[in-house]
Amino acid sequence: MTNTPSRNPMELIDRYLQAVRFWLPKSQHDLALELAEDLHSQVEAKEAELGRPLDEGEVSAILKECGRPVVVAGRLRPQDYLIGPTIFPAYRFILKMTLLWMMLPIFVFIVGPVQFATTGSLGAAIGSTIGAMWTGGFIAAGIITLVFVMIERTQNKLRTADKWDPRSLPPLEKPERKASGGKTACELIFNLMALAWLLLVPYKPFLVLGPAANFLNAAPMWHTFYAPVLLLTVASILRLIVILVRPDWVRFPVWSKLLQTVLSLVVVNYMIKAAGQTAGAVWHPFVLAAQGGEQAVKIAAVVNVSILVSLVCTWVGLCIAAVVQTWQSVRSFTQTESFTPGSASLHVF
Amino acid sequence: MTNGKQSGPELFENLKLELRRGCLVVAVLAQLRKEQYGYTLRKALGDDGLEIDESTLYPLLRRLESQGLLISEWREEDKRNKRFYRLSPVGEGILTQLLEEWQRINASLEKILQEA
Repeated sequence: MTNTPSRNPMELIDRYLQAVRFWLPKSQHDLALELAEDLHSQVEAKEAELGRPLDEGEVSAILKECGRPVVVAGRLRPQDYLIGPTIFPAYRFILKMTLLWMMLPIFVFIVGPVQFATTGSLGAAIGSTIGAMWTGGFIAAGIITLVFVMIERTQNKLRTADKWDPRSLPPLEKPERKASGGKTACELIFNLMALAWLLLVPYKPFLVLGPAANFLNAAPMWHTFYAPVLLLTVASILRLIVILVRPDWVRFPVWSKLLQTVLSLVVVNYMIKAAGQTAGAVWHPFVLAAQGGEQAVKIAAVVNVSILVSLVCTWVGLCIAAVVQTWQSVRSFTQTESFTPGSASLHVF
Repeated sequence: MTNGKQSGPELFENLKLELRRGCLVVAVLAQLRKEQYGYTLRKALGDDGLEIDESTLYPLLRRLESQGLLISEWREEDKRNKRFYRLSPVGEGILTQLLEEWQRINASLEKILQEA
Protein backbone atom coordinates (compact mmCIF):
# COMPACT_ATOMS: atom_id res chain seq x y z
CA MET A 1 0.00 0.00 0.00
CA THR A 2 1.39 3.44 -0.91
CA ASN A 3 1.07 6.34 1.54
CA THR A 4 0.08 9.10 -0.87
CA PRO A 5 0.22 12.44 1.00
CA SER A 6 -3.06 14.34 1.08
CA ARG A 7 -3.31 17.99 1.94
CA ASN A 8 -6.94 17.76 3.04
CA PRO A 9 -7.66 14.96 5.57
CA MET A 10 -11.21 14.77 4.21
CA GLU A 11 -9.77 13.79 0.84
CA LEU A 12 -8.89 10.47 2.47
CA ILE A 13 -12.59 9.73 2.83
CA ASP A 14 -13.17 10.42 -0.88
CA ARG A 15 -10.27 8.14 -1.79
CA TYR A 16 -11.66 5.49 0.55
CA LEU A 17 -15.13 5.74 -0.98
CA GLN A 18 -13.70 5.60 -4.47
CA ALA A 19 -11.98 2.34 -3.53
CA VAL A 20 -15.21 0.94 -2.05
CA ARG A 21 -17.21 1.95 -5.16
CA PHE A 22 -14.67 0.16 -7.34
CA TRP A 23 -15.73 -3.17 -5.80
CA LEU A 24 -19.45 -2.42 -5.84
CA PRO A 25 -21.79 -2.97 -8.79
CA LYS A 26 -23.34 0.24 -10.11
CA SER A 27 -26.73 -0.76 -8.74
CA GLN A 28 -25.22 -0.64 -5.24
CA HIS A 29 -23.55 2.77 -5.49
CA ASP A 30 -26.24 4.37 -3.34
CA LEU A 31 -24.93 2.24 -0.47
CA ALA A 32 -21.58 3.97 -0.95
CA LEU A 33 -23.40 7.31 -0.67
CA GLU A 34 -24.90 6.22 2.64
CA LEU A 35 -21.51 5.06 3.78
CA ALA A 36 -20.08 8.47 2.79
CA GLU A 37 -22.73 10.20 4.84
CA ASP A 38 -22.01 7.93 7.80
CA LEU A 39 -18.26 8.60 7.64
CA HIS A 40 -18.76 12.35 7.41
CA SER A 41 -21.12 12.21 10.38
CA GLN A 42 -18.50 10.26 12.36
CA VAL A 43 -15.87 12.89 11.55
CA GLU A 44 -18.26 15.69 12.54
CA ALA A 45 -19.12 14.00 15.81
CA LYS A 46 -15.44 13.52 16.63
CA GLU A 47 -14.64 17.12 15.73
CA ALA A 48 -17.47 18.34 17.93
CA GLU A 49 -16.11 16.21 20.79
CA LEU A 50 -12.52 17.51 20.37
CA GLY A 51 -13.51 21.07 19.46
CA ARG A 52 -11.13 21.18 16.47
CA PRO A 53 -10.80 19.73 12.94
CA LEU A 54 -9.42 16.21 12.70
CA ASP A 55 -5.97 15.61 11.29
CA GLU A 56 -5.12 12.98 8.69
CA GLY A 57 -4.17 10.38 11.30
CA GLU A 58 -7.51 10.69 13.10
CA VAL A 59 -9.51 10.45 9.86
CA SER A 60 -7.36 7.51 8.89
CA ALA A 61 -8.21 5.82 12.23
CA ILE A 62 -11.95 6.18 11.52
CA LEU A 63 -11.51 4.62 8.07
CA LYS A 64 -9.35 1.84 9.44
CA GLU A 65 -12.06 0.99 11.95
CA CYS A 66 -14.57 0.83 9.12
CA GLY A 67 -12.45 -1.81 7.37
CA ARG A 68 -10.58 -2.43 4.12
CA PRO A 69 -12.52 -1.11 1.10
CA VAL A 70 -12.67 -4.53 -0.55
CA VAL A 71 -13.98 -6.15 2.67
CA VAL A 72 -16.54 -3.41 3.28
CA ALA A 73 -17.71 -3.60 -0.34
CA GLY A 74 -17.98 -7.38 0.00
CA ARG A 75 -20.26 -6.98 3.02
CA LEU A 76 -22.30 -4.22 1.42
CA ARG A 77 -23.05 -6.05 -1.80
CA PRO A 78 -25.71 -8.75 -1.83
CA GLN A 79 -24.55 -12.32 -1.42
CA ASP A 80 -23.69 -13.71 -4.83
CA TYR A 81 -22.14 -16.99 -5.83
CA LEU A 82 -21.46 -19.01 -8.91
CA ILE A 83 -22.82 -22.23 -7.44
CA GLY A 84 -25.25 -21.89 -4.56
CA PRO A 85 -25.70 -24.12 -1.51
CA THR A 86 -28.67 -25.92 -3.09
CA ILE A 87 -26.72 -27.57 -5.89
CA PHE A 88 -23.23 -27.40 -4.36
CA PRO A 89 -23.37 -30.97 -2.89
CA ALA A 90 -24.24 -32.34 -6.35
CA TYR A 91 -21.46 -30.25 -7.92
CA ARG A 92 -18.89 -31.53 -5.41
CA PHE A 93 -20.05 -35.13 -5.92
CA ILE A 94 -19.82 -34.98 -9.73
CA LEU A 95 -16.46 -33.20 -9.60
CA LYS A 96 -15.03 -35.78 -7.18
CA MET A 97 -16.41 -38.67 -9.23
CA THR A 98 -15.03 -37.33 -12.47
CA LEU A 99 -11.60 -36.32 -11.24
CA LEU A 100 -10.86 -39.02 -8.68
CA TRP A 101 -12.82 -42.03 -9.83
CA MET A 102 -12.81 -41.60 -13.60
CA MET A 103 -9.96 -39.44 -14.82
CA LEU A 104 -7.28 -40.50 -12.34
CA PRO A 105 -7.69 -44.25 -12.97
CA ILE A 106 -7.92 -43.70 -16.74
CA PHE A 107 -4.67 -41.74 -16.77
CA VAL A 108 -2.87 -44.02 -14.34
CA PHE A 109 -3.98 -47.33 -15.78
CA ILE A 110 -4.58 -46.59 -19.46
CA VAL A 111 -2.95 -43.39 -20.69
CA GLY A 112 0.23 -43.91 -18.67
CA PRO A 113 0.87 -47.53 -19.82
CA VAL A 114 -0.05 -46.63 -23.43
CA GLN A 115 2.41 -43.70 -23.31
CA PHE A 116 5.04 -46.06 -21.92
CA ALA A 117 4.35 -48.62 -24.63
CA THR A 118 4.55 -45.90 -27.30
CA THR A 119 7.62 -44.01 -26.12
CA GLY A 120 9.43 -46.87 -24.40
CA SER A 121 10.76 -44.43 -21.81
CA LEU A 122 9.37 -44.47 -18.27
CA GLY A 123 10.40 -40.87 -17.53
CA ALA A 124 8.88 -39.50 -20.73
CA ALA A 125 5.71 -41.55 -20.18
CA ILE A 126 5.30 -40.24 -16.58
CA GLY A 127 5.97 -36.65 -17.67
CA SER A 128 3.53 -36.66 -20.58
CA THR A 129 0.86 -38.49 -18.54
CA ILE A 130 1.07 -35.99 -15.68
CA GLY A 131 0.93 -33.12 -18.16
CA ALA A 132 -2.09 -34.59 -19.93
CA MET A 133 -3.73 -35.36 -16.57
CA TRP A 134 -3.40 -31.72 -15.40
CA THR A 135 -4.75 -30.36 -18.66
CA GLY A 136 -7.57 -32.90 -18.79
CA GLY A 137 -8.40 -32.34 -15.10
CA PHE A 138 -8.60 -28.57 -15.49
CA ILE A 139 -10.72 -28.84 -18.63
CA ALA A 140 -13.08 -31.37 -16.99
CA ALA A 141 -13.36 -29.26 -13.81
CA GLY A 142 -13.96 -26.16 -15.92
CA ILE A 143 -16.70 -27.78 -17.97
CA ILE A 144 -18.42 -29.24 -14.89
CA THR A 145 -18.24 -25.87 -13.12
CA LEU A 146 -19.63 -24.10 -16.19
CA VAL A 147 -22.52 -26.54 -16.45
CA PHE A 148 -23.39 -26.11 -12.77
CA VAL A 149 -23.13 -22.32 -13.04
CA MET A 150 -25.66 -22.49 -15.87
CA ILE A 151 -27.89 -24.76 -13.79
CA GLU A 152 -27.60 -22.30 -10.88
CA ARG A 153 -28.51 -19.38 -13.15
CA THR A 154 -31.47 -21.15 -14.73
CA GLN A 155 -32.91 -23.13 -11.83
CA ASN A 156 -34.39 -20.04 -10.15
CA LYS A 157 -36.07 -19.03 -13.40
CA LEU A 158 -37.34 -22.52 -14.12
CA ARG A 159 -38.34 -23.07 -10.46
CA THR A 160 -37.22 -26.69 -10.77
CA ALA A 161 -37.07 -26.95 -6.98
CA ASP A 162 -40.87 -26.95 -6.87
CA LYS A 163 -41.23 -29.38 -9.77
CA TRP A 164 -40.70 -32.67 -8.06
CA ASP A 165 -42.94 -35.45 -6.96
CA PRO A 166 -42.19 -37.49 -3.82
CA ARG A 167 -43.62 -40.48 -5.69
CA SER A 168 -40.71 -40.31 -8.15
CA LEU A 169 -38.22 -41.08 -5.37
CA PRO A 170 -36.34 -44.40 -5.79
CA PRO A 171 -37.94 -47.35 -3.97
CA LEU A 172 -36.67 -48.45 -0.60
CA GLU A 173 -33.77 -50.81 -0.81
CA LYS A 174 -32.62 -53.54 1.54
CA PRO A 175 -29.20 -52.92 3.01
CA GLU A 176 -27.71 -56.05 1.42
CA ARG A 177 -28.81 -54.96 -2.04
CA LYS A 178 -27.04 -51.63 -1.84
CA ALA A 179 -23.88 -51.60 -3.94
CA SER A 180 -20.80 -50.87 -1.86
CA GLY A 181 -19.02 -47.81 -3.17
CA GLY A 182 -15.60 -49.03 -2.08
CA LYS A 183 -16.11 -52.47 -3.62
CA THR A 184 -17.36 -50.98 -6.88
CA ALA A 185 -14.42 -48.56 -6.97
CA CYS A 186 -11.99 -51.47 -6.50
CA GLU A 187 -13.74 -53.40 -9.28
CA LEU A 188 -13.44 -50.34 -11.50
CA ILE A 189 -9.72 -50.07 -10.85
CA PHE A 190 -9.19 -53.77 -11.63
CA ASN A 191 -11.23 -53.44 -14.82
CA LEU A 192 -9.21 -50.41 -15.88
CA MET A 193 -6.03 -52.36 -15.25
CA ALA A 194 -7.44 -55.23 -17.29
CA LEU A 195 -8.28 -52.85 -20.12
CA ALA A 196 -4.75 -51.42 -20.08
CA TRP A 197 -3.38 -54.96 -20.09
CA LEU A 198 -5.61 -55.92 -23.04
CA LEU A 199 -4.56 -52.83 -24.99
CA LEU A 200 -0.91 -53.58 -24.43
CA VAL A 201 -0.99 -57.32 -25.14
CA PRO A 202 -0.84 -57.02 -28.98
CA TYR A 203 2.36 -54.93 -28.67
CA LYS A 204 3.86 -56.75 -25.69
CA PRO A 205 2.94 -60.48 -25.98
CA PHE A 206 5.14 -61.29 -22.97
CA LEU A 207 2.33 -59.84 -20.83
CA VAL A 208 0.28 -62.97 -21.56
CA LEU A 209 2.88 -65.57 -22.57
CA GLY A 210 5.80 -64.54 -20.38
CA PRO A 211 9.20 -65.76 -21.62
CA ALA A 212 7.37 -68.12 -24.04
CA ALA A 213 6.56 -65.02 -26.12
CA ASN A 214 10.00 -65.48 -27.70
CA PHE A 215 8.91 -68.64 -29.52
CA LEU A 216 5.08 -68.55 -29.45
CA ASN A 217 2.71 -66.38 -31.51
CA ALA A 218 -1.00 -65.63 -31.08
CA ALA A 219 -3.19 -67.71 -33.40
CA PRO A 220 -5.39 -65.96 -36.06
CA MET A 221 -8.47 -66.69 -33.94
CA TRP A 222 -7.61 -63.74 -31.72
CA HIS A 223 -8.17 -61.35 -34.63
CA THR A 224 -11.85 -62.30 -34.40
CA PHE A 225 -12.24 -62.33 -30.62
CA TYR A 226 -9.93 -59.51 -29.51
CA ALA A 227 -12.48 -56.76 -30.29
CA PRO A 228 -15.45 -58.44 -28.48
CA VAL A 229 -13.29 -59.08 -25.40
CA LEU A 230 -12.12 -55.45 -25.46
CA LEU A 231 -15.70 -54.19 -25.82
CA LEU A 232 -16.86 -56.37 -22.94
CA THR A 233 -14.18 -54.85 -20.71
CA VAL A 234 -15.13 -51.31 -21.74
CA ALA A 235 -18.81 -52.12 -21.12
CA SER A 236 -17.89 -53.43 -17.68
CA ILE A 237 -16.03 -50.19 -16.89
CA LEU A 238 -18.98 -48.08 -18.03
CA ARG A 239 -21.32 -50.23 -15.94
CA LEU A 240 -19.22 -49.67 -12.81
CA ILE A 241 -19.03 -45.93 -13.46
CA VAL A 242 -22.81 -45.78 -13.75
CA ILE A 243 -23.14 -47.70 -10.46
CA LEU A 244 -20.83 -45.20 -8.75
CA VAL A 245 -22.47 -42.13 -10.24
CA ARG A 246 -26.05 -43.29 -9.83
CA PRO A 247 -26.28 -45.31 -6.59
CA ASP A 248 -30.02 -44.60 -6.62
CA TRP A 249 -30.51 -46.86 -9.66
CA VAL A 250 -30.99 -49.78 -7.33
CA ARG A 251 -31.88 -52.39 -9.94
CA PHE A 252 -29.13 -51.42 -12.37
CA PRO A 253 -26.21 -53.32 -10.72
CA VAL A 254 -28.04 -56.66 -10.68
CA TRP A 255 -29.60 -56.46 -14.14
CA SER A 256 -26.52 -55.04 -15.86
CA LYS A 257 -24.35 -57.70 -14.21
CA LEU A 258 -26.66 -60.40 -15.62
CA LEU A 259 -26.46 -58.84 -19.08
CA GLN A 260 -22.68 -58.68 -18.84
CA THR A 261 -22.49 -62.33 -17.77
CA VAL A 262 -24.73 -63.44 -20.65
CA LEU A 263 -22.64 -61.50 -23.20
CA SER A 264 -19.42 -62.95 -21.75
CA LEU A 265 -20.96 -66.42 -21.94
CA VAL A 266 -21.79 -65.89 -25.62
CA VAL A 267 -18.23 -64.78 -26.41
CA VAL A 268 -16.62 -67.66 -24.45
CA ASN A 269 -19.01 -70.12 -26.07
CA TYR A 270 -17.98 -68.98 -29.55
CA MET A 271 -14.30 -69.13 -28.59
CA ILE A 272 -14.63 -72.75 -27.44
CA LYS A 273 -16.58 -73.62 -30.62
CA ALA A 274 -14.01 -71.88 -32.80
CA ALA A 275 -11.21 -73.75 -31.02
CA GLY A 276 -12.97 -77.05 -31.74
CA GLN A 277 -13.31 -76.21 -35.42
CA THR A 278 -9.67 -75.22 -35.95
CA ALA A 279 -8.36 -76.95 -39.08
CA GLY A 280 -4.83 -78.15 -39.69
CA ALA A 281 -2.57 -81.09 -39.02
CA VAL A 282 -1.64 -79.77 -35.58
CA TRP A 283 -4.32 -78.51 -33.20
CA HIS A 284 -3.06 -75.03 -32.22
CA PRO A 285 -6.16 -72.81 -31.93
CA PHE A 286 -4.86 -70.17 -29.48
CA VAL A 287 -1.07 -70.01 -29.88
CA LEU A 288 1.30 -71.16 -32.60
CA ALA A 289 4.93 -72.14 -32.35
CA ALA A 290 6.91 -69.37 -34.03
CA GLN A 291 9.85 -71.72 -34.62
CA GLY A 292 9.55 -75.23 -35.93
CA GLY A 293 11.46 -76.81 -33.02
CA GLU A 294 9.94 -79.88 -31.33
CA GLN A 295 10.22 -78.25 -27.93
CA ALA A 296 8.34 -75.14 -29.09
CA VAL A 297 5.54 -77.24 -30.60
CA LYS A 298 5.21 -79.21 -27.34
CA ILE A 299 5.00 -76.00 -25.31
CA ALA A 300 2.42 -74.59 -27.75
CA ALA A 301 0.31 -77.73 -27.31
CA VAL A 302 0.44 -77.46 -23.51
CA VAL A 303 -0.49 -73.76 -23.62
CA ASN A 304 -3.38 -74.46 -26.04
CA VAL A 305 -4.81 -77.18 -23.79
CA SER A 306 -4.39 -74.96 -20.73
CA ILE A 307 -6.24 -72.07 -22.40
CA LEU A 308 -9.04 -74.40 -23.56
CA VAL A 309 -9.41 -75.87 -20.05
CA SER A 310 -9.50 -72.32 -18.63
CA LEU A 311 -12.16 -71.32 -21.14
CA VAL A 312 -14.30 -74.35 -20.33
CA CYS A 313 -13.99 -73.64 -16.59
CA THR A 314 -14.90 -69.98 -17.28
CA TRP A 315 -17.91 -71.16 -19.34
CA VAL A 316 -19.13 -73.36 -16.46
CA GLY A 317 -18.56 -70.52 -13.97
CA LEU A 318 -20.45 -68.07 -16.18
CA CYS A 319 -23.36 -70.52 -16.54
CA ILE A 320 -23.65 -70.83 -12.75
CA ALA A 321 -23.29 -67.03 -12.37
CA ALA A 322 -26.02 -66.47 -14.98
CA VAL A 323 -28.44 -68.74 -13.07
CA VAL A 324 -27.67 -67.09 -9.73
CA GLN A 325 -27.89 -63.59 -11.18
CA THR A 326 -31.15 -64.33 -12.94
CA TRP A 327 -32.62 -65.42 -9.61
CA GLN A 328 -31.21 -62.29 -7.90
CA SER A 329 -32.65 -60.06 -10.64
CA VAL A 330 -36.10 -61.59 -10.35
CA ARG A 331 -35.92 -61.38 -6.54
CA SER A 332 -34.87 -57.70 -6.68
CA PHE A 333 -37.80 -56.94 -8.93
CA THR A 334 -40.38 -58.75 -6.81
CA GLN A 335 -38.98 -57.31 -3.55
CA THR A 336 -39.09 -53.77 -4.90
CA GLU A 337 -42.63 -54.32 -6.00
CA SER A 338 -43.64 -55.60 -2.57
CA PHE A 339 -41.80 -52.70 -0.86
CA THR A 340 -43.66 -50.00 -2.72
CA PRO A 341 -47.19 -50.92 -3.57
CA GLY A 342 -48.33 -49.31 -6.77
CA SER A 343 -44.78 -48.56 -7.84
CA ALA A 344 -45.44 -49.40 -11.47
CA SER A 345 -45.08 -45.76 -12.37
CA LEU A 346 -41.75 -45.27 -10.59
CA HIS A 347 -38.77 -44.50 -12.75
CA VAL A 348 -36.01 -46.60 -11.30
CA PHE A 349 -33.65 -46.71 -14.25
CA MET B 1 -12.89 -22.38 10.22
CA THR B 2 -15.79 -24.25 8.69
CA ASN B 3 -14.76 -27.82 9.27
CA GLY B 4 -13.46 -29.59 12.31
CA LYS B 5 -13.59 -28.37 15.89
CA GLN B 6 -13.67 -24.66 16.57
CA SER B 7 -11.86 -23.14 19.51
CA GLY B 8 -13.97 -21.95 22.46
CA PRO B 9 -13.77 -18.20 21.74
CA GLU B 10 -14.32 -18.75 18.01
CA LEU B 11 -17.32 -20.94 18.66
CA PHE B 12 -18.75 -18.38 21.07
CA GLU B 13 -18.28 -15.58 18.50
CA ASN B 14 -20.09 -17.57 15.83
CA LEU B 15 -22.98 -18.47 18.11
CA LYS B 16 -23.17 -14.89 19.37
CA LEU B 17 -23.36 -13.72 15.77
CA GLU B 18 -26.24 -16.11 15.10
CA LEU B 19 -28.05 -14.96 18.23
CA ARG B 20 -27.52 -11.29 17.37
CA ARG B 21 -28.66 -11.59 13.74
CA GLY B 22 -32.34 -12.00 14.54
CA CYS B 23 -32.24 -9.57 17.48
CA LEU B 24 -30.69 -6.85 15.30
CA VAL B 25 -33.62 -6.95 12.90
CA VAL B 26 -36.05 -6.44 15.77
CA ALA B 27 -33.89 -3.69 17.26
CA VAL B 28 -33.58 -1.82 13.95
CA LEU B 29 -37.31 -2.05 13.30
CA ALA B 30 -38.03 -0.86 16.85
CA GLN B 31 -35.63 2.10 16.53
CA LEU B 32 -37.21 3.13 13.25
CA ARG B 33 -40.59 3.71 14.76
CA LYS B 34 -39.06 7.20 14.79
CA GLU B 35 -37.51 8.42 11.51
CA GLN B 36 -33.73 8.34 11.46
CA TYR B 37 -30.83 8.25 9.01
CA GLY B 38 -28.06 5.68 9.00
CA TYR B 39 -25.53 7.31 11.30
CA THR B 40 -28.02 8.36 13.99
CA LEU B 41 -29.59 4.92 13.89
CA ARG B 42 -26.22 3.25 14.32
CA LYS B 43 -25.37 5.61 17.16
CA ALA B 44 -28.71 5.03 18.87
CA LEU B 45 -28.26 1.27 18.66
CA GLY B 46 -24.68 1.56 19.93
CA ASP B 47 -25.77 3.79 22.85
CA ASP B 48 -28.33 1.14 23.81
CA GLY B 49 -25.62 -1.56 23.77
CA LEU B 50 -26.13 -3.00 20.27
CA GLU B 51 -23.03 -2.02 18.31
CA ILE B 52 -23.42 -2.51 14.57
CA ASP B 53 -20.94 -1.64 11.86
CA GLU B 54 -21.70 0.27 8.67
CA SER B 55 -21.28 -2.68 6.36
CA THR B 56 -23.83 -4.70 8.36
CA LEU B 57 -26.41 -1.98 8.89
CA TYR B 58 -26.80 -0.59 5.37
CA PRO B 59 -27.40 -3.92 3.58
CA LEU B 60 -29.83 -4.83 6.38
CA LEU B 61 -31.73 -1.55 5.89
CA ARG B 62 -31.87 -2.16 2.15
CA ARG B 63 -33.15 -5.71 2.67
CA LEU B 64 -35.83 -4.59 5.13
CA GLU B 65 -36.87 -1.88 2.70
CA SER B 66 -37.10 -4.33 -0.19
CA GLN B 67 -39.28 -6.53 2.04
CA GLY B 68 -41.62 -3.60 2.49
CA LEU B 69 -40.93 -3.17 6.20
CA LEU B 70 -39.21 0.22 5.85
CA ILE B 71 -39.74 3.38 3.83
CA SER B 72 -36.80 5.60 2.92
CA GLU B 73 -36.25 8.94 1.28
CA TRP B 74 -33.20 11.06 0.44
CA ARG B 75 -33.39 14.54 2.00
CA GLU B 76 -30.98 17.36 2.48
CA GLU B 77 -30.12 18.17 6.07
CA ASP B 78 -27.24 20.34 7.28
CA LYS B 79 -26.17 20.81 3.62
CA ARG B 80 -25.75 17.08 3.14
CA ASN B 81 -27.92 14.49 1.46
CA LYS B 82 -29.08 11.87 3.92
CA ARG B 83 -31.28 8.83 3.51
CA PHE B 84 -33.97 8.79 6.18
CA TYR B 85 -35.70 5.58 7.16
CA ARG B 86 -38.91 4.90 9.01
CA LEU B 87 -41.12 1.92 9.68
CA SER B 88 -43.82 1.24 7.07
CA PRO B 89 -47.39 0.26 8.10
CA VAL B 90 -46.51 -3.35 7.18
CA GLY B 91 -43.32 -3.06 9.25
CA GLU B 92 -45.34 -1.85 12.26
CA GLY B 93 -47.52 -4.96 12.10
CA ILE B 94 -44.54 -7.27 11.70
CA LEU B 95 -42.69 -5.55 14.55
CA THR B 96 -45.65 -6.10 16.86
CA GLN B 97 -45.69 -9.80 15.97
CA LEU B 98 -41.92 -10.11 16.32
CA LEU B 99 -41.98 -8.47 19.76
CA GLU B 100 -44.71 -10.86 20.89
CA GLU B 101 -42.64 -13.77 19.59
CA TRP B 102 -39.57 -12.44 21.33
CA GLN B 103 -41.52 -12.14 24.61
CA ARG B 104 -42.65 -15.76 24.21
CA ILE B 105 -39.11 -17.00 23.53
CA ASN B 106 -37.77 -14.98 26.45
CA ALA B 107 -40.43 -16.37 28.79
CA SER B 108 -39.68 -19.92 27.60
CA LEU B 109 -35.96 -19.45 28.12
CA GLU B 110 -36.47 -18.06 31.60
CA LYS B 111 -38.69 -21.02 32.44
CA ILE B 112 -36.11 -23.48 31.09
CA LEU B 113 -33.31 -21.78 33.03
CA GLN B 114 -35.33 -21.82 36.25
CA GLU B 115 -36.05 -25.53 35.83
CA ALA B 116 -32.36 -26.34 35.24
